Amino acid sequence: MKNIEDVCKKIFRLAGKVQCEVSAEMRDGALTRFADNVISQNVAYSSTEFSVRLLDAGRMVKINFNQSDDTALKHAVGSGLEILKKQKKDPALLPLAKPRPFEAARDLYFRETAELTPAYRAERAAELARACKKSSQTAYGTFENGSSELVIANNLGLFARHRETSAAYGVTVRDHDGFGWAEYPAFDAGEIPFRLLNETARAKAAASRSPREIKPGKYPVILEPQAAADLLCYLAVYGFGGQIYNEGRSFACGKLGKRVLSPLLTMEDNSLDGAAPGMPFDYEGQPRKRVTLIENGVLKAVVHDRKSAKAAKTASTGHALPQPSYLGPIPLNLAVKPGSGGLDDLIRGTERGILVTQFHYTNLLKPQTMEITGMTRNGTFMVENGKLAFPIKNMRFTQSMVEAFADVEGVSGQAAPILAWGIMSCPAMRLKNFNFSSSTKF
Amino acid sequence: MFRLASKAIEIASRHKADFGDIRIIEERRQSLSVRNGEIAGLTDQTTLGYGIRVLCGGAWGFASSSVMTPRAVADTTLKAIAIAKASRMLMNVRVRLAAEPAYTDFWQTPFIKDPFAVPVETKLDLLFKIDSLLRRDKKIRAAGSEMRFIRERQWHMTTDGSRIEQVLLSSGGSLSATAVENGESQTRAYPCTHGGQTLAGGWEIIEAMNMADHAERVREEAVALLTAPVCPAGTKDLVISGNQLALQIHESVGHASELDRVLGYEESYAGSSFATTEKLGKFRYGSPIVNLVADATLPGGLATAGYDDDAVKAQRWHIVRDGILSGYMTNREFCGRIGMDRSRGSCRADGYNNIPITRICNLSLMPGSTPPEQLIGEIKDGIVMENNMSWSIDQKRLNFQFGCEIGWLIKNGKRGKMVKNPTYQGITPEFWGSCDAIADHSQWRLWGVANCGKGQPGQTAMMCHGSSPARFRKVKIGMHG
Repeated sequence: MKNIEDVCKKIFRLAGKVQCEVSAEMRDGALTRFADNVISQNVAYSSTEFSVRLLDAGRMVKINFNQSDDTALKHAVGSGLEILKKQKKDPALLPLAKPRPFEAARDLYFRETAELTPAYRAERAAELARACKKSSQTAYGTFENGSSELVIANNLGLFARHRETSAAYGVTVRDHDGFGWAEYPAFDAGEIPFRLLNETARAKAAASRSPREIKPGKYPVILEPQAAADLLCYLAVYGFGGQIYNEGRSFACGKLGKRVLSPLLTMEDNSLDGAAPGMPFDYEGQPRKRVTLIENGVLKAVVHDRKSAKAAKTASTGHALPQPSYLGPIPLNLAVKPGSGGLDDLIRGTERGILVTQFHYTNLLKPQTMEITGMTRNGTFMVENGKLAFPIKNMRFTQSMVEAFADVEGVSGQAAPILAWGIMSCPAMRLKNFNFSSSTKF
Repeated sequence: MFRLASKAIEIASRHKADFGDIRIIEERRQSLSVRNGEIAGLTDQTTLGYGIRVLCGGAWGFASSSVMTPRAVADTTLKAIAIAKASRMLMNVRVRLAAEPAYTDFWQTPFIKDPFAVPVETKLDLLFKIDSLLRRDKKIRAAGSEMRFIRERQWHMTTDGSRIEQVLLSSGGSLSATAVENGESQTRAYPCTHGGQTLAGGWEIIEAMNMADHAERVREEAVALLTAPVCPAGTKDLVISGNQLALQIHESVGHASELDRVLGYEESYAGSSFATTEKLGKFRYGSPIVNLVADATLPGGLATAGYDDDAVKAQRWHIVRDGILSGYMTNREFCGRIGMDRSRGSCRADGYNNIPITRICNLSLMPGSTPPEQLIGEIKDGIVMENNMSWSIDQKRLNFQFGCEIGWLIKNGKRGKMVKNPTYQGITPEFWGSCDAIADHSQWRLWGVANCGKGQPGQTAMMCHGSSPARFRKVKIGMHG
């Protein structure tokens, strides 16, 4: 938004002498959704939202609004100031952050991606639908593109601005009782390998027809990148956030410098020049730092915002969520270090195990051991003697992730971009033991 | 607002749209939370914008904006029309909407006290009082309490003549305590988990919860859970109470009966449903005492309104009658696929910038005739579970596993020892088929689900599920890794 600086200045003027922070987020996007080989939903959205924090003598209030004409601004800030007067004092409230320099981030804005037309999205969907129809398959999926811009500014002189584009193409293909899936998120839609994704999903759907039921139990498991990322994301969000760690609720609590996962695992949060880039500052306008969370299985650090850093007597790593945050800081730009070889090598080295394409509806049961449950989905296969032997019916797992990821047998050399809490980069991997607790009939 | 809205209707009509509508939404939200003696959030939010839907040449287009000028409304309508044209590139048959009379009406949620008129300091005083009660034990490492209020004012205008104004109001609150010791952590909440209890209405909803009266019990139970034995694994009779039964209804019946899912339109994301249309009127979903009723007219229900976002008047209907699958959640687009000439009116959108989609209505398990004491009294070896902690269900809504906050073992008809980390697992029709007793009307409560996610782009909707505690025989309990 061209006049965002003017809007910020107006808000600061209306705030008068109290500390004032503005977070403004502008989004333009579109999504084409298809099902049963036809477009089922086709939408575009456009929004600008302002979030203003007012702080005075230990009191704080936050007001959100989306209209920025003079009358609306006067009303919004005026009502915020009224509430602020009646607010209780909070001795733990931090003053606003002073400006700090941050590193230039990668340019993640691609004009062509922002301007993709509905006809272009429809044509990409149609390519898959045509191919599917010819082979009695059915296509489902989405193709989304958009742009966003975030400004964090305060009346102490801080002004941080970041813009990026996003695109994601995700497809599910049904082939009678077989299902396949593939997805690719990118900042630049030009990077999306549409044909490869279509072929992957179609081939997987065909290969997973007539699945057999196997007995639940413990098996070695090969997790494709999406499946591995789904689980590792829980470890990172509920284990490596400064507030959760400080409060003793993290599985890794008290284990800084100690081995908590397999020596084959190294994981960093790096929005600047890592494999999962993002904005170079956090929601307090503080510079994001590269943080190695796990190095060869050893817990090296957790991420902090200013509040959790103060409690831990350390410095913010620039991982604040919009303040105030109930969850505290979390890593949002996770990258798991690739190993060597490919998915095929992981399969070749498996005498008997299960290959999982994707999990569905995963959820945390026990935070201390990171026990999670969920279902397999869209392509689950028995591996025997180094080959995919036959497709299997979906199964539920109930498993401690701390235990599962303590025994990693191999990490592939190619990481894939994954849509997680932010964009995540993750390779496939093989775990020695994984508990499938029940089966289902499809 | 209707004058601004009429611009969209005029342009959609001029472009010969089969159907078009505009929903202008003004929403105010206020949320307050206190955590460990500090104000964790005090947010007041106001948004205003509109979403425009057009059906042109049998295909849909939707666009939204928050620029409130006639010019912007016109541009957004044209954008939606252009999108509809692109949708025609990949269509099979023309979308046809079920007919619905045109309405000119005003409807609003009944309430006693406007929650936005209650001073902030009154709300914070209550939250701080709760917080201090929760933290009276050093083992409590995370104490939290919160309240939130939402008022949504809608102006809905359609090309087929409806002109509907509605004001929907909801109020909610909760408190929770997490006890930590020796690497173990246990949480207890009131009235329920995942954001607490929310119902349609005003400040009287908060007053009726008596939150402060429950803080000490919540604290004590969180601490007691630290040293409670782990829920044993095995096959036992199960009594489900609290909001857990609400979530069981939500996940295994509510989503499974959304007709768009059933027809495959959610396959790429949330999945489909085992409750396919050829089963309608025949399939045994549960035991003969299981009656599940969808009701958009239910007092206090979060999905209660005069009309849905398809401009269809609110209705009440059975999803499961005497244990048999008897209906679906429908919109005007899909209801014809099951031979219905009128939608049930279960189509809603999240805010102004999302397209209306098929949603779970208020869906409740009708009370049974069993006195509450008899539910447990007839069990030799069983367990009571209360309040949801975790949920997971497969993409056809068959295989589920739920974790609860707390459990109590039942031995020879008596509720006994507290157990922690209770979980149960089942297959939907087998599970509902094992329901052999539902407590009577005296135990029936309405539970709000304020965070139901669905669709791409993701949308959040609110609805309620009413139930009395119910008994299920021979359920798999306590499965762990």
